[in-house]
Amino acid sequence: MSIDPPYTAEFANAGYLAELPEDMQQRLRDQAFEGAAAAATWEDQLVVAPFWSNTQVLWYRKSVAQEAGLDMTQPVTWDQIIEAASTTGKKVAVQSNKYEGYAVWINALVAGAGGEIAENTEKGADATITVDSEAGHEAARVIEELAHSEAAPADLSVAQEGQAGATFGSDVGGFMVNWTYIWTNYDDSQPEVKDDLGFARYPRTVDGEDSRPPYGGIGIGVSAFSDHKEQAIEALECLTSPESQGVNADLTGNMPSSPAGYDYPALKETYPQELLDLFQESLEAAAPRTVSPYWSDISGALQSRFHPPSSVDDDTPDKAKKFITDVLHQKDLL
Amino acid sequence: MSATAVPTGKTTARTSDRAAGENRLGLKLVAPAVVVMLIVTAWPMIQALYLSLFQYRLTAPDEKEFVGLANYASVLGDSLFWQDTFNTLLIMVVTVAVELVIGFVFAMVMHRVIFARGVIRTAILIPYGIITVVSAFAWQFTFSLSNGWVNSWFAWLPGISSDTNWFGDHWPAMFAIMVSEIWKTTPFMSLLLLAGLSQVSEDMIEAAKVDGATWWQRLWKVILPNMRAAIMVAVLFRALDAFRIFDNIFVMTRGAQDTESSSFLTYRQVIEQFQLGLGSALSVLLFLSVLLLAFSIVKLFRVDLAQARGEG
Amino acid sequence: MQSDTKTKAGTAVGFVLILVWCLLPVAWIISLSFKGAAETAAGSPQFLPKDPTLDNYKTVLGVGNLSSGDAPDPAVSDDFLRALLNSFGIALVATLLSVVFATLAAYAIARLEFRGKRLVLSIALAIAMFPVVSLVGPLFDMWRTFHLFNTWPGLIIPYMTFTLPLAIWTLTAFFREIPWEMEQAAQVDGATSWQAFRKVIVPLAAPGVFTAAILTFFFAWNEFVLAISLTSTTGSRTVPAQLSFFVGPDPFNPPYGQLATASVVVTVPIIVIVLLFQRKIVAGLTSGAVKG
Repeated sequence: MSIDPPYTAEFANAGYLAELPEDMQQRLRDQAFEGAAAAATWEDQLVVAPFWSNTQVLWYRKSVAQEAGLDMTQPVTWDQIIEAASTTGKKVAVQSNKYEGYAVWINALVAGAGGEIAENTEKGADATITVDSEAGHEAARVIEELAHSEAAPADLSVAQEGQAGATFGSDVGGFMVNWTYIWTNYDDSQPEVKDDLGFARYPRTVDGEDSRPPYGGIGIGVSAFSDHKEQAIEALECLTSPESQGVNADLTGNMPSSPAGYDYPALKETYPQELLDLFQESLEAAAPRTVSPYWSDISGALQSRFHPPSSVDDDTPDKAKKFITDVLHQKDLL
Repeated sequence: MSATAVPTGKTTARTSDRAAGENRLGLKLVAPAVVVMLIVTAWPMIQALYLSLFQYRLTAPDEKEFVGLANYASVLGDSLFWQDTFNTLLIMVVTVAVELVIGFVFAMVMHRVIFARGVIRTAILIPYGIITVVSAFAWQFTFSLSNGWVNSWFAWLPGISSDTNWFGDHWPAMFAIMVSEIWKTTPFMSLLLLAGLSQVSEDMIEAAKVDGATWWQRLWKVILPNMRAAIMVAVLFRALDAFRIFDNIFVMTRGAQDTESSSFLTYRQVIEQFQLGLGSALSVLLFLSVLLLAFSIVKLFRVDLAQARGEG
Repeated sequence: MQSDTKTKAGTAVGFVLILVWCLLPVAWIISLSFKGAAETAAGSPQFLPKDPTLDNYKTVLGVGNLSSGDAPDPAVSDDFLRALLNSFGIALVATLLSVVFATLAAYAIARLEFRGKRLVLSIALAIAMFPVVSLVGPLFDMWRTFHLFNTWPGLIIPYMTFTLPLAIWTLTAFFREIPWEMEQAAQVDGATSWQAFRKVIVPLAAPGVFTAAILTFFFAWNEFVLAISLTSTTGSRTVPAQLSFFVGPDPFNPPYGQLATASVVVTVPIIVIVLLFQRKIVAGLTSGAVKG
């Protein structure tokens, strides 16, 4: 079964996942990106095989960056792109509907300022919620700034990846953070957008500190209740070989979870080498979402207090901390 | 009541024999239906009552613990629960009120139309028969920012422009949800009202006309009072149905912008978060609210339930 | 006379308004189903498609090649057709069983004197008002224990439960109208009791049974809460559940056109039933709730 990284810990903790053989775990760990392996690990065991790994980059319209006079060869901050879009009458597209994608954005913003949403997650429900840190406030500041700027898309509070892609492809498209699949997204429908499409490292939350792009992807696990565990594990080994990862990446636009997977020849035809390098660099620097069996609660509670984006202000991180803590201790309904 | 009359002229013993036989046969015939109805409702409700006393989560089955009424305390002390209850009641009151008016107009038109009765009946039954999820999608796309026609057709209205984000704020999103609910269920309401309307005697209306009553007076003094039973039954059924609103919210907003209903909250706790303890407490409370609501409507409006049950 | 003309004009205007109100959303999803993926991805707020295409139908139904020469994604059509099969199967079986049980019960209620008659009717009324969501948790638990989770019977059983009340009322109302004396009259005329039942009662009762079946089918076809809670794969997922979880071949772009197409496809059976049996449906709906 395919498992999204934030749920890996929840499944593993509940005993739903069959143990993988030790030698296989080692092989997969060696093969995968560090972040991918970390996201697949629970209590020192690699519980799922990383299949594809996704990350976000900053996509921009070359014409807009040029008009705004923004030098995209240097790392840019959120403040800069919001400013650039506002002055040129364009939009910054993000994912901020009330769903997991919004938690992805918040997590990347917090991590980009050197913080974390939660610490000591091995304590389960007693983890320390740290979204109210300095970094948490920086993240809230960026969201507040975008939501109240001219650069906020009309559908900010309901935008997922698709809506963001549509905004970016429209007349007001300027900047967007989105997953790797965007490179081929406009090939058939809007070739003129593709011609104008630039890419850069994920924007920085604070000036002078490296950004931490989001990490996404799919790991494949074997159900502990499967009747055919051995065959399933064999199938899994085949599916997650670097070559299979490359084939999948070429077909779906979801990038491999291992450096070896990037060597698949067809990928190099579709994607420019600099973009493949950027993807790998981003994956190395990525900040996975907090690994906790309670991630779905933490994320849900976080979204609940940060949504809609226009309501976010300096008090939001403190409120979110209190709410997440209450939800984890079942004092509050999510 | 029954079409069978006990045959006369037989001995008392045989009569009671026969009555006992009829009694047994009657029970046998209703037994399968009653069993199927109770197996899926009564037993799970008892189960829910029991589970609601535990802290019990499927993702942490080992931590199951008896907590008494603590789940009820946390639910009743929670602002989200009250927000959702308020939403649900608001949706119920507004949709039923609007449907009463629109449904009555529909019923009047259908009652009067002499041509193309089949056409109008077919048109009205399509929303009735359509899947609620489909209705929700149709209206979601209607109000969609990038792919809906509402913004382009109604941009001349104040407050609506080409980039009005209907699902981006609480009230517009509630509005869209209610439109879908009203569209889908008005036909049911109007058909019940039509049945009531056809029971009002034409002679009475004619008599009022002769007495010089205006159209408005005839409506309020003759037609509506004589439809009272039908109106109340329609309100009862629709109100309880609207109180259980779920499909539209699930499809259109997934509860974002605080548009969640009580049913949706219960569903999320149980299925999405595996909170069987808290979720069961919510289930029990939802069940009690429906009982209370049904009871109040029946008492408040003195609905004739014999009629609702098809007795009479 | 003047008020008569006014009434007629009012009725005519009302007639048109009703048609528009009822049919516009249907026309809208039909129109949307002909809009291509590129058109909706770029944003297409006008009512009619700019460049009508059959691609969505080909993809959803899994036939032919798309206009650009690509084959439609079989995963989409497989899931959808499978859900359609589940919906038909589950709704038909639930309807059949529910109507049989309801016929027995309604016959007893309409014709026999027995203790507990009022109780049966009260239970039926209570269940018609029951909040289905309340059952989701315990049923989820029970069905896992009995291995009914994610199976056809796992949905058929609760669908019977929730359609029985409507079926019982409708049928009771119909059965009360049947002149049962005719059965005896036929027997006096020399018919056996089976003949009397078959030739006299069955033709009189059949329309009622049929009407109850249509209403039951509509319910099962429409049901959503249980369908998403008690299933987990396309093995038993019905159309409403499948539609609501459908993300399309591209997980990041909402498949407006394909959703609209699937919606149109599942609405076709409803329209056919309504066109053929509108008179019966109206009679059934009103007889069950209001004594007609």
